[in-house]
Amino acid sequence: MAKVEYDDVWRQFVGQERPAVAGLTLDIADGEFLVLLGPSGCGKTTALRMLAGLEHPDRGDIRIDGRSVVGLEPKDRDVALVFQSYALYPHMSARDNIRYPLRVRHLSTAEQDRRVARAAELLGIGHLLPRRPAQLSGGEQQRVALARAIVREPRVFLMDEPLSNLDAKLRTHTRTELKALQVELGVTTIFVTHDQAEAMTMADRIVVLDAGRLQQLGAPDDVYQHPANLFVAQFIGSPPMNVLPAERDGDTLVVAGGWRVPSPRLRDEKGALTVGLRPEAIALADDGHPGEVLVSEPLGSEVIVNVKLGDALVKLRTTPDVRPEPGAKVHLRADPAGVRVFDRESGVAVT
Amino acid sequence: MTTLGPQAQAQVVIPPRTRALEGGSRLEWALMHLAFLVVTVFFLAPFVWLFTAALDAQAAPYIRWPSQPTFENFVRIFDRYAFATALGNSLFVAGSTMLLTVVVVSLAGYSLSRIELRQKAWITYAVLLLQTMPLSATMVPIYGLARELGLRNSYLGLILIHSAIELPFLIWLMKGFFDSVPRHLEEAAWLDGRTKLRALFEIVLPVARPGIAVAAGLSFLSAWAEVLMVLILIDQQSMKTVPLAFYETFRTAGGYTEVQYGLVAAMAVLYLLPVMAVFFATRRLMVRGLVATTRGL
Repeated sequence: MAKVEYDDVWRQFVGQERPAVAGLTLDIADGEFLVLLGPSGCGKTTALRMLAGLEHPDRGDIRIDGRSVVGLEPKDRDVALVFQSYALYPHMSARDNIRYPLRVRHLSTAEQDRRVARAAELLGIGHLLPRRPAQLSGGEQQRVALARAIVREPRVFLMDEPLSNLDAKLRTHTRTELKALQVELGVTTIFVTHDQAEAMTMADRIVVLDAGRLQQLGAPDDVYQHPANLFVAQFIGSPPMNVLPAERDGDTLVVAGGWRVPSPRLRDEKGALTVGLRPEAIALADDGHPGEVLVSEPLGSEVIVNVKLGDALVKLRTTPDVRPEPGAKVHLRADPAGVRVFDRESGVAVT
Repeated sequence: MTTLGPQAQAQVVIPPRTRALEGGSRLEWALMHLAFLVVTVFFLAPFVWLFTAALDAQAAPYIRWPSQPTFENFVRIFDRYAFATALGNSLFVAGSTMLLTVVVVSLAGYSLSRIELRQKAWITYAVLLLQTMPLSATMVPIYGLARELGLRNSYLGLILIHSAIELPFLIWLMKGFFDSVPRHLEEAAWLDGRTKLRALFEIVLPVARPGIAVAAGLSFLSAWAEVLMVLILIDQQSMKTVPLAFYETFRTAGGYTEVQYGLVAAMAVLYLLPVMAVFFATRRLMVRGLVATTRGL
């Protein structure tokens, strides 16, 4: 158990024009489940590998429990990493894979057996122990890799997209289990993913990265409800936030098709503005701004209605019983509490 | 520009030539098999001669069935020509060469595969360039060096030079194998607490085992077959390896005038057997290894 700090960490690869990680500063609390979220190439994996000792920062410091680990070999950092590919040793049985970090530490055979048995029980893989990795399914390999990580009781767990090679159903299931396991073990965990649903469901806090830079750090709800900029607004949420260029007119903002949206109190903004509306912040109403339904997408528990508004397209979320036909005329009303405003030039939130 | 109408398309038929391989006339079939037979006989004839001549006390430079098959030739090469010494020398030199080569190419191949260097491409090609140099071009300097260093008539000299001959190619081969071993495996081992060297021995080398088998097999065979360097480095009777004993028997056993074909053939048979043993012992790994290499290129 440990707290982890990144202090202005930079890393640029040879032959790349911009740094993979640029000035990352983060404090991760003891026992926290932190998710590094971003599109591919955003630097999240590099940030993780620098903590593991597999990459070296050009500049800045990384500390575990207040002690710098920058000069340390991976073996001396006492962190466990679960790889996307699982990286199970193909010539060893599942049991020997899990036992390997204990053997390295010269624990007594009895202690090794006890710990392997406990990890196997925790992950429900007791019956798989004699098998080789090649004889295991993807989900089973993933559990063995997790067992190998938890068996040594490291200070920090690092996970590099460990769920992305699983099929959709298993992924959702494992997500829940993994979160429960982390809560039970209470070990500081840094989890890298490009899947915002994984981030939202598992994280205590989410770090959104883009092009090597930290975009926002906050609790899942916070990041979802109050995105710091347009990138975060559109990266998180499915479907993503509706983003519409707006003109200011007194207390209202006029967006595509002449729709007047109630404006929250703004700071003294000079530049052009963009309005962001989550699909659930727009409701169908008897009166309001008129629009024409393009298509309705039923998802079982909800329906996503696509409405044409001038030359813009707006997605809104309704209950399953409301399902307007294509071409139907509807009226839109925006929830004043759900209106987000961004500077159009810089993309930074101004509300 | 013209376009093909439906009629033009309908005229496209399968050329009749392709049918010859499937059915064809009986004559074609016979000619084809005759051609195969000729080629096969051409390549097999020397080996047939080796085995018949080895069992024939009056062997001649053509194939004939021995009138009285006998092991007399084998007895004579061991009794009169100290073939056991040559065989022992060859096994020792080729075996040691194999061990040394495997250790060196494993470490060098791994380094070339993993270490990030700006000039890595040049280093890698420079290694390959060494392989293209004809060995005979280095004969004179190697002789001089070996004399200065006291490596003539020495096992160490032979082992060193035999290892050096195949090193460039085998380093390339092993680099290819290590390239195909995922880096995550050794990284996982480092994070599990291993040093880089132990992770190499416990994780990477076992995974690259087919590659090591190929390197071992090829280096053994190369050292076993090498004759030029043996010729210039060895002149003591007790240090001779099989190819040299073989060559000298051919030249001198019958006093330059009358070649003792039976003796030569018997030696050749015993010379071939270890090669075949190595091949059969490692053939599965070799095939897996060679397929894996070509896939990586």
